[in-house]
Amino acid sequence: MRILVVTPFPPVRDGIAAYAVQSVKALTAQGHDVEVLSPGPSAAHHHLQLVGPRGAAALAKRVRAYDRVVVQFHPEFFYPLPPTPWAWAAESLALAAAFRAAREVHVVVHEIDYLDSRPHGPERAAGRLLWGAVDQIHVHTERERADFVRAFGVRPDRVRVTDHGGDFTPATRHDRASARVSLGLPPEEHVFLSIGFIQQHKGFDRAIAAFGALDELEISDGPPARLVVVGSARQGDAANVAYVDKLRAQGEQTPGVDLRIGFVSDELFDRWLVAADTVVLPYRSIWSSSVLERAALYGRDVVITDVGGLAQQAGDRDGVTVVADDDELAAALRAALGLTDRAPTGGSAAWPAPGELDESGGSDLRERVQEQVRTRAASRRRGGPVTGATPDPASLAAAAAATAPLRQLHPMANPSVASASVGAGLLKKVVRRLTAWQYDPLLHQVNALQEAAVRAVEQSAVQAGPARAVDDTRP
Amino acid sequence: MTGPGKIAFVPARYGPDVIGGAEIVLATLAQGFRDRGWEVEILTSCAVDHFSWENVREPGVTEEDGMTVRRFPAVVSTVGAERAVIEAEIMAGRPTSLVDQQHWINDGMRMPDLYHHLLHHGADYRAVVLGPYPFWPAFAGAQVVPERAVLLTCLHDEPYAYLDLFTPAFTGAAGLLLLSPPEHDLLHRVVERPAPHALTGCGVEVPGTYDPDGFREKYGITGRFVMYAGRREGAKGWERLLEGFARATERRGLPFTLVTMGSGEVRPPAGFEDRVVDLGKLSTTDRDNAFAAADAYLQPSAYESFSRTIMEAWLAGTPVIANAASAVVADHCRVSGAGLLYDDDLELEEALVFVAEAPEAAAALARPGRDYVLDRYQWPDVLDRVEAALLEWTPA
Repeated sequence: MRILVVTPFPPVRDGIAAYAVQSVKALTAQGHDVEVLSPGPSAAHHHLQLVGPRGAAALAKRVRAYDRVVVQFHPEFFYPLPPTPWAWAAESLALAAAFRAAREVHVVVHEIDYLDSRPHGPERAAGRLLWGAVDQIHVHTERERADFVRAFGVRPDRVRVTDHGGDFTPATRHDRASARVSLGLPPEEHVFLSIGFIQQHKGFDRAIAAFGALDELEISDGPPARLVVVGSARQGDAANVAYVDKLRAQGEQTPGVDLRIGFVSDELFDRWLVAADTVVLPYRSIWSSSVLERAALYGRDVVITDVGGLAQQAGDRDGVTVVADDDELAAALRAALGLTDRAPTGGSAAWPAPGELDESGGSDLRERVQEQVRTRAASRRRGGPVTGATPDPASLAAAAAATAPLRQLHPMANPSVASASVGAGLLKKVVRRLTAWQYDPLLHQVNALQEAAVRAVEQSAVQAGPARAVDDTRP
Repeated sequence: MTGPGKIAFVPARYGPDVIGGAEIVLATLAQGFRDRGWEVEILTSCAVDHFSWENVREPGVTEEDGMTVRRFPAVVSTVGAERAVIEAEIMAGRPTSLVDQQHWINDGMRMPDLYHHLLHHGADYRAVVLGPYPFWPAFAGAQVVPERAVLLTCLHDEPYAYLDLFTPAFTGAAGLLLLSPPEHDLLHRVVERPAPHALTGCGVEVPGTYDPDGFREKYGITGRFVMYAGRREGAKGWERLLEGFARATERRGLPFTLVTMGSGEVRPPAGFEDRVVDLGKLSTTDRDNAFAAADAYLQPSAYESFSRTIMEAWLAGTPVIANAASAVVADHCRVSGAGLLYDDDLELEEALVFVAEAPEAAAALARPGRDYVLDRYQWPDVLDRVEAALLEWTPA
């Protein structure tokens, strides 16, 4: 069978590309004649700009030559930004036309917006037409399947749950010892690993904060441990760069955190997994995870947050711990080290039971709760206290108050280049490219100054003590 | 030592009409392994010219030189505008995001069919030898079969070497073949913990005899000349050499013609056309005879990972005048004692004046160069080192 696979593809580094290359290998091994089309130049046989109706129209011209088209689907490959309802609907209709032009279409859905906030909008209706044009829809968990059927009214028998890691094969031949030598990791430490593209929704800051809480517990009696954060910003936009900078600052403040920012090939990715003891995936949102599957290839323990289809994907696998929130995440790290579960000090202490709070009611209660909120947030903001010693909660709250005006400033970012008009978007991209050398350093410097100012004010507020800090910040 | 397996060599271009140091080294290594009983395949493009990457050969499988040669189309499907912009940033030493680094490597010549061949058949080979590192075939190929990828890195101290993009290959390949001690030093500067590596050097064919008079007669060259052989392009320092040579000739009345051979456009400075002779591509014999006939060999490139041509000059007893910015060439010149180095045009000028005014002393200066090459860089010794490294690094 002649198959066209539409997907990002190596050597461009991308989780879906890594998934797709293994799928292409498996299809070819089954005897199919496989060609690959990617959104940009890569090792794919063809490349095509897919975003927008024109991309879908160009795709429609190609698909007729194949017996089957397999699409590795993520909205950003196809849908223009900003995602206005009509633009979204137009793209869905154009894609539907492209899919109908093909003899057979299978779509592997890696992520999608169910548009639940606009159930009666044009984009939802167009989405139904789009997914009605697909012969087989593949998702990775039953939860995704149920959500998909509900959102787009697809016949349930056309949505199939496929094993996320079914085609995965190891990409490194290192064992744990040689991987650690190669990566400069000591042999005896317990290595926690958060790996992947560094994006806000991946929540690697949560892993650092949880690891920092171990230090608050004075785990010197436990085994030596480090948390390694490995990856790079997927896109070079200001928001991602700012998040990487934030992680760097947080890592510098947290003993035992080791940030390795850089290009990660498939082999290097697996080498890190082999070297690790516990893989930490503190995602804020996700559909399903390739990292979870690759960790399983090497039998590594994994801590995952209960978001998207992760828990279902993990099923009842050995070595997987599902956590609901940051406290459980910290507890899971402690458990991985064999430490008994103790409540952390400072702002991370457990909340009082509801009954205890109600008893004292009134404005005192609000102030106490507010102080707790501030203290907890201040303690967690950088994975722990800003000074060597653990400050008292009142100092943390004072520091939070002192830094509030600075923290209320959003990180500075370039204006979006997205536009409903393809031409305008292109023009903005060109202007962005031409001026980036001049503006990006300024922008990063402004954000770095903001971060530094927050840290400086926070530190001086903590050192000054609660009364002085509060006096300084309240008229 | 006999070959216990199948091995692939991956030069970006292959054939008798291909000019390029790394390509020639990979081809010669392949032939050496063939002679040692290995089952050798050449995986290469259909192109000969590395500027246009025009596919002048048919894709497919042929038998050439006693080896299976698989040719895949070289694909240039973009105008390379993005690559040019990012390249300028890289060469200016500006920080370049990983996203841009990936756009840069993919916005030039690519060989998707080679990638897919390795994806589906990579496990058939005990080792896949690729290089140099910044070429797309080596970059992409090393990611498909990292456990079998042996990289002829050809590292230069150039901005590309420090891109994050290449760190996984430098640290995760099965092994790295290094051509010189300065390249070894550079590797350790570029990455903290490199993959297994060996300083194997590079072999040079030793001609049995030279016929300098025959060369002069054949090409009608009568007077004294200095020469340059290789790629005539800015990256090799060719244009700067032309300017420096022209100025020195004008100022000091030098007696030399600059004879050059190789690929690329020559473009001598205006009014200086009659002092530059372009012989284009020469046979190996004519090239060797040209080295013997020359007063000196000029090596203007700052980016050399080995420089076979200076070895060929020394074998012919010809002194070398080289750009000191190349750590590798400078090391060769210092250790052998057979080459002069220049840091600027005035030093180039003085070196040329020395050769012009003291030809016997210049010949004496060149003399230890031949032993330097014979002691270190003969193919049988190099092949022994490469074969031993491959057997150690790759699974049987």
